[in-house]
Formats: sequence, structure tokens, C-alpha cells
Amino acid sequence: MSDDKITIETGDAGKGESEIAKDANTEELEERALSVFSSERNEDLTALVLSLITTFIVLVFTKWT
Amino acid sequence: MAQLQDNKPLFIISGLMIIYALIAWSGVLHPLMKYLHTAKTADLQVSMGLIAGGIGIFGALINSVRKSGNTIIDRFVLQPLPGILLILLMAMAIRWYVEPLVKLMSAGLQPVLGFKIYKVLNLNYVILGLLAGVIITNSYGIPKFAAAGVKCARFVLKMGVIMLGARYSFAELAKLGTYSIFLVGTFVLGTVFFVLWLGKLFKQPKTMTGVLSAGMGVCGVSATVAVAPVVKAKSEEMAYTIGTILSFGIICMFVFPTVGHWAGMNPVQFGAWAGTGILNSAQVAAAALAFNAVDIKTLKVAEIFNITRVLFLPIIVLVLATWFGKETGKKLTFKEVVIDKFPIFILGFLLLFAMSSMGLFSPPTHYKGKFIDYSYNERTQVTDQEWETLNTTVQSNSIQGLTEEQMAAVKDLVAQRQLAGDFESRADKKVFNKQGEARMFQLESILAAAKGKTITLDPDVKAAIKHAIKQVHKKSKTVTTLTDCMIWFFAFGLIGLGMQITKKAIFQAGGWPLVIGIISGITKATLSFFVVLWLVKDVVLK
Repeated sequence: MSDDKITIETGDAGKGESEIAKDANTEELEERALSVFSSERNEDLTALVLSLITTFIVLVFTKWT
Repeated sequence: MAQLQDNKPLFIISGLMIIYALIAWSGVLHPLMKYLHTAKTADLQVSMGLIAGGIGIFGALINSVRKSGNTIIDRFVLQPLPGILLILLMAMAIRWYVEPLVKLMSAGLQPVLGFKIYKVLNLNYVILGLLAGVIITNSYGIPKFAAAGVKCARFVLKMGVIMLGARYSFAELAKLGTYSIFLVGTFVLGTVFFVLWLGKLFKQPKTMTGVLSAGMGVCGVSATVAVAPVVKAKSEEMAYTIGTILSFGIICMFVFPTVGHWAGMNPVQFGAWAGTGILNSAQVAAAALAFNAVDIKTLKVAEIFNITRVLFLPIIVLVLATWFGKETGKKLTFKEVVIDKFPIFILGFLLLFAMSSMGLFSPPTHYKGKFIDYSYNERTQVTDQEWETLNTTVQSNSIQGLTEEQMAAVKDLVAQRQLAGDFESRADKKVFNKQGEARMFQLESILAAAKGKTITLDPDVKAAIKHAIKQVHKKSKTVTTLTDCMIWFFAFGLIGLGMQITKKAIFQAGGWPLVIGIISGITKATLSFFVVLWLVKDVVLK
């Protein structure tokens, strides 16, 4: 298995760049093409941050005021 | 001018949202909302329409006056905005109109069919959203302007899974003994490995087998959504898994109560069996109520067994991440599996679960935001009229057939005007709550006896007792709101997911997921039936 990476223009709503393995299969390309994010990690982190912000807002309006 | 033309769909969708919000605000739709039982959401309908529509108009104006670039705002907000609003509009239509209409129609058909189609086919926003997405893609096709927005579906589904953590707490899990946790864990892991083995046997894609194993092993829709990114499952594979789980659950809802009665299971045994064998939470509750609508213990045990499965989710994610890594030929070290491969959004689920268990949203003993509070409070008391009815009944000794404990509980309700522990022990919360719990058990058993027609109860007395019990059942506003957010995230995500499923993909998978699902489901149900009959006698809750 080669660890070489290539940069392609996919993800991030079709405008961003993704770094994928040189020998990545088409499935990986298809997977990223179905998301606005260029990597799983970015997607997860954004989901986590937005969820925490939502939770905080809900707490402010339902419990702390 | 051309840019203005490009933003026409966004202007139209946003305009529709604002117009709808204004009509709802004027009160014209109130009779319709009342008919559909959605009047409680009237404020939400107005504010959601105005906010989303306002953001849409603002976005469309910005898009019209400036040239589209490659900034973060362009990529993540302005370009996906039309698609996001289209899906949101569909989610609003499904949650406020289609789902309530389906419910009403199914209630109308009940006298003819003998059952509620809505409940049996589980036609809630999950299925309706997925179906709506699939229909649009395979008829009209995804509109060009919505393409970038549809790509947000998985991301929003992940937010739904994170929010799911807020609904549960460790206290609920601690009610089960280690022995029951071991039982649930064995079946969860056993099913996952069994499905993986079946997938290999029937030569199914690893992505399909991986997601199906989580759905069949853990708890249906949420597990499917949580595991899909780990095993790189495609949209149609997720849809297949959800379809398989729900189809299998429909069979279970009818078969489980009949078999349970036939085998002479007691309420606790049936609860444990349904909670272990049936996958979807709503279907678990329906089967438990069909088996025994009187004894609340059946439902309680079934629900606790069911949520224990949800809490195995992070372990299953780890197991499947390791399996998927190995199957794709990668040698993974422990660090790679636990730190690199473990999805961050599952950590979010655990974080919200921890916050919920610490009592940040609601008292830590809550379950889906519901908790019992016996403390003295004017709002917890029965009404003066109800108190009068109960007092007269006790004075005249007119309820016949009650046990000594049941009568004592009614007398105490009259004395304290609310369901509570002894006034003297109010400083010791543990003792106070235990006394309140014992009294509630007695009052519930009076209502059960009346329902079972072993005693005759005056309707006013029955209503007063019912009200007293209802008064101590509190609902956390925070958890309810967080659950609402979760439902919206799931509704949005599933519509978007449905939009990524083409006819070709549906036919490519064939009927194998259903075959694997049914084989593993029947095996799990049969094995758990014998294990529960053999091991679970009566008390499984601490």
C-alpha cells in the first residue's frame, strides 16, 4: 500500500481541495463528493461544535433564564 | 441581472416561508392546526418560517450583488443555502402536515382495518422524509440549485446523533443489574458478529454488512446513522438497513405479544424479551403495551433494556471500525482504532450523555427528559374539587375491594393533597422519595385494578388519582427542546439522504439486506426468548 497523497478538487461544496491517497478507490472519491466537507474529521468537528452551540443556546433559554 | 436570475429559486423558497409564517401568525390556519393537532407548534411555525425565510432573502440578496467566490462563507453558507432551505421546507411540510394527516387517516381507517396503519408501518417523519427524498430524486431529479445543500444531509444527521446523547442518563442504566447488562451486551455484540458472518456468507459488500450489523444489533435508525460513516456506507445502504429494521419490527410487533402470552411469560420476562429482540424503540413500546396495557412494569423493563442497547453504540462503533479496517486490508494498531478511527461525533454523543448524567439538563434520574418529583409544590397538588371528591370517598369508605396499603395511599393523598413521602422525612430525600414511590405504586395498582374490572371506581375518584400521579411526573423543558432539535436534524438529514438514492442503486442491492436482516432478527429473537425464559424470573430492576 502506498502512502503517497494527491490533492484533488472535491468536497467543500465542490470548491475545496481534498488530500487523498494516490491509490484511493473511486468509492472514497464518491464519499467525499457527497459531502460539503473535504474530510470526515472536518465534518465531525463542525457537527460537534454546532451541536454544542445549539445545546448552549437551549440551556440559556430553557434553564438559565 | 443574470445573478438575480440564478437566485430566483432561493428568493421563491424564502418568500414562501415568510408568506407561510405571516399566514400562520394571522391565525387563519389555527382551525386547521387544531384539526391536525399541531396548534401547540404555532409559535414555532411562525418563528421558524420568519427566521429561515429571512436568512434566505438575505443570502439571495448577497448572492445577487456580489460575485460568487471561494470563501468559507461561499462554500458552507451561500452555495448550499438554497438546497438547505428546500429540504427544510420539505421537513416543515412533513412534520406539520403530512405526518399529522397520515396519523389522522390511519385513526380513521382503524375501525375498518382493526389496527392503526401509522403505528404498524411506523409511518413517522423518518420514513416519510426518506420516501419524499427518494421520490423527488427519481421523478423530477434534484434541482441544480439544491445540489450543494443536499450534501449537508450526513453532516446534519451527525448532529442528530450527538443530540441523542442528551435523552439518556447513566442513572437509568444503573437500574439494571450487571447480569442484565451482560445479557443485553451479549445479544448486541452477538448479533453484530452474526450479521457480519452472514454478509460474508452471502457475499454482500462490506459497507452494507457493516451498517446492517449495527442496525440489527443496537437500535435501528440512530445506530445506522452513527455507524454509516465508520464503514463508509452509501445512502442506499443506510436506507436499506432502516427499511429492513422497520419491516422486521412490524412482524415482531404482532408475533412477540402472541408468543409471550402463549409461553406464559410474566410482565418482566416479556419486557426483557421485547427490549432485547425488537429493534426500533417505538415498536418495542407498542409490543410491550400490546402484551400488557395494565402493568406498567412491562413497558418500563422493555424501555430500559432498549436504552441499554443504545448505550452500547460507542463500543459497536469501535468494533466495526476495527473490523472495517481489517477487511479493507489495513493493519490497525490499538491507537489507530481508538484515537484515529473513532468518530469525533460519537465523542459528542458521549459528551452530551455525560452532561445529561451529571444533571445539567434535568435531574440525573430522568429518562428522555421525564422524571418524578415528589417535593412539595403547590403546582403538584390535586385541585380543590378533586380533593373534595377523594375526601368524601375516604370519609364514607365507599371504595370497596382495596388492600390496606392501597387505602393508606389514598388516605395519605387526602392528607397531603399531593403524592409525596412522609412530611417528617422530607429532609432525607432518599427515604422521602422511597415513600412517595411506594405510594405511587399503590395508586397505580388501584387504577390497574379498575381497568382490569376487579374493583369498581367512581369516574371522578379515578380522574383525581390519575391527576395526582400525573402531577409528580415532570418533564424537563431542556431535554424536550434538545429532543426537538434532534428530531429536526434527523428529519432534515433523512430527506437529504433520500435525495441521494437513485432507482439504479436500489435495484443493485437486491433483496439480500432483507434476507440477512430477517435471518439474524429471527435468530436473535428466538435465542433471547429462551435465555429470558431461563434466566429472567421476576425482578431485573434494582
